[in-house]
Amino acid sequence: MKKIVSLLLALMMIAALCACGQAAAPAAATAPAADTPAPAEEPAPVEEPAPADALVVDTCILKEADDAMINNYSLLAVNPDAPFADADGNAVADVELNTVGAAALINWLLSEEGQELAANYGFEQYGEYLFYLKDGRPVSSAEIPAATEETKKIRLSTTTSVNDSGLLGYLLPVFEEKYGYEVEVYSAGTGKSIANAKMGNADLILVHSKKQEEAFIEDGFSYVIDGMDAERLNWMYNYFVLCGPSADPAGVKDAADVKAAFKAIADGKFTFISRGDGSGTHTKEISLWPEELGITAEAESFKDYTDWYVSANTGMGACLVMAEEMKAYILTDKATFLTFVANDGVMG
Amino acid sequence: MGSSVRKAIELILSADPELLNILSTTARVCLTSSILALIIGVPVGILFGAERFPGRKILLVLNRTLIGMPPVVCGLLFYMLFSGVGPFRHLKLLFTVKLMIIAQVVLITPIIIGVMETFVADTAPALRETARGLGFGRIKEYRLLVNECLYSIFSAYLLSFARAIAEVGAVAMVGGAIAWKTNVMTTAIMMYTNRGSFTLGIALGLILLTLSLIVNIVLSLMQGRLSR
Amino acid sequence: MKVSAFSKTYGKRTVLSLPELELSEGMITAVIGPNGSGKSTFARILAGIEYADDRKPVIADINVGYLPQKSFPFRMSTEKNILQNGNDPARAKELMKALGIDDLAKQSAKKLSGGETARMALCRILMRRYDLLILDEPTTAMDMESTLAAEKLIRETCGGQGCAVLLITHSISQARRISDRVLVMNRGELAEQGDSGTVLNDPKQEQTRRFLDFYGL
Repeated sequence: MKKIVSLLLALMMIAALCACGQAAAPAAATAPAADTPAPAEEPAPVEEPAPADALVVDTCILKEADDAMINNYSLLAVNPDAPFADADGNAVADVELNTVGAAALINWLLSEEGQELAANYGFEQYGEYLFYLKDGRPVSSAEIPAATEETKKIRLSTTTSVNDSGLLGYLLPVFEEKYGYEVEVYSAGTGKSIANAKMGNADLILVHSKKQEEAFIEDGFSYVIDGMDAERLNWMYNYFVLCGPSADPAGVKDAADVKAAFKAIADGKFTFISRGDGSGTHTKEISLWPEELGITAEAESFKDYTDWYVSANTGMGACLVMAEEMKAYILTDKATFLTFVANDGVMG
Repeated sequence: MGSSVRKAIELILSADPELLNILSTTARVCLTSSILALIIGVPVGILFGAERFPGRKILLVLNRTLIGMPPVVCGLLFYMLFSGVGPFRHLKLLFTVKLMIIAQVVLITPIIIGVMETFVADTAPALRETARGLGFGRIKEYRLLVNECLYSIFSAYLLSFARAIAEVGAVAMVGGAIAWKTNVMTTAIMMYTNRGSFTLGIALGLILLTLSLIVNIVLSLMQGRLSR
Repeated sequence: MKVSAFSKTYGKRTVLSLPELELSEGMITAVIGPNGSGKSTFARILAGIEYADDRKPVIADINVGYLPQKSFPFRMSTEKNILQNGNDPARAKELMKALGIDDLAKQSAKKLSGGETARMALCRILMRRYDLLILDEPTTAMDMESTLAAEKLIRETCGGQGCAVLLITHSISQARRISDRVLVMNRGELAEQGDSGTVLNDPKQEQTRRFLDFYGL
């Protein structure tokens, strides 16, 4: 009986919590009205500070559309004859991949229909296009076979930015409905999602890190599918943007180019949030620091900069929340940043 | 917290199909794995507690070590084993609910064995002396022993269900948190946290806690009846 | 019935070393002696719960019933506990009535007091006939009234069923009241045996006399 009583107590505590939540809500709603500090002669209001989610986002785009900031997205079909190896390095010959399904998805994404959908994504919601089609991109007009029992399941290993921006949730249902496939999306940082494919757990990858993609091809993990002329099918891009507090203490807005901007941040030791998770964004960021700093993905390389360089090791959205919180600079893909701002800095 | 609570209530009221899918996957994984673990763990735990056989102590030490195994290590192990290049690749179980259940059974069974072993080792000698003194056979002796255990079986189950529903490391590794397929509450919370959607993460957390509370209340009521 | 000679050693310490003994049907044999004299170990070996050093049974293959000092109440009602040892509700009722626990029949055995548990345990073991019934201090937890009722019940059962009873007790007055024969144990050895009247009134051994004197009788 004692147990039941304590359980009921716990229930009541939760109910009380809910009540507090409800009571706090109106306070949060009225807070933005007083957005300027109260004049000195007025007695200071004894109200609690407004919750963080009522604040307007201060972090803003300071540097964009620089050629060094292009964020290229590529599709790579995983090669069924790739030199797969198990954890001990022994060759594994009979890894089963759905090559038909992978080719079908690639051909659809590169078809007129798929490209048009991708190019239009985001305009309705954010008033801006989130992805741009590349000039001279591969285009497919191959006929797409309907799914069969064997080819139905397609495993796509991709990066969080593509998934979190909502692009896949917008594109894939169209493809699935039309041809009867089921696409299983495994989303992680580029490093992890490529590793997942190398373990034979993906039929194709959609990533954004040229260096890692080239290594993937070099190692024989990708192949040229029928009708294409390269393994790496780079068909769309957008821009990374350098964001930071609107006050811009490092003056990156006036920097000649993005490399100069990064140098200004490092010179002034202004707080910078790094993804630190081996993602495409992380790889890009590393390439933008002045070479003499020697920053790489290894923790060892930035141990002297920990007073301003924050390696967060988490997703893009979580890093943006941190940057907003710490008034820090951050490199992000534009799509995630726009989503962040659209949600008043709380990410949905 | 206020906005999270509001969000949680909104989410439940809206009967968002993705949330419902996550909830049903969570229920399927946790209930199946904890019940399977119970089916395996209870007899093994009772045997470990009631019988003395060579190697028992070593097995108990191993079992205690397994109780302390970090879920992510368990997940990683199963990821490697069932990966496209792993030895069990032909079973095609990676990123399926089945493998999530298997990984959780491996995580939880040692807990049940541990709880049962401790209880039975405490109870069995006195019960056995009395049962043998009365001239009962071994089958009747075990039937009486199991009857003694019912209460602690519930405790073991509550513990293992709690572990199953709260665990994220193993299910994230072997399930891959694939939407509409292997995404459960904990992996969804992780995902939203990584995305920076803290409010949504906490909202899901509150729903998870509430569900856990309901399950616990029901089981505790049943347990209360048993002790009478 | 014969109990063969045996010894019991824990490590290097010999705790029990007994000569061949004789137990008779229809008779109550009391085993008395100070704490640690090996009475309970003797009972456990006789009951087959523990083994003698040579791991051979010390008694021929007969039906032995053994009531341990702290009998275990199973997780069920008092009545069901008793019925575990023979499905005869009328007999169970009769036994419970004799020991005054009939009003506790439906109560959970786990919630019984020490004395009530002891009475339940005695009822439980008396449900069935055993060739040899070993009772290890069955009345220690009981009050005087229950003790006397229990003794009467043991006596009747022994006489009625014609079984041999081995009663381990630290109460010399109890031995005097109901036993036919007495075994006196001291430090794991048999100090003295014989008719209860003879041994208890006029012990041959000096140490038996001292033991009896010490217990104030």
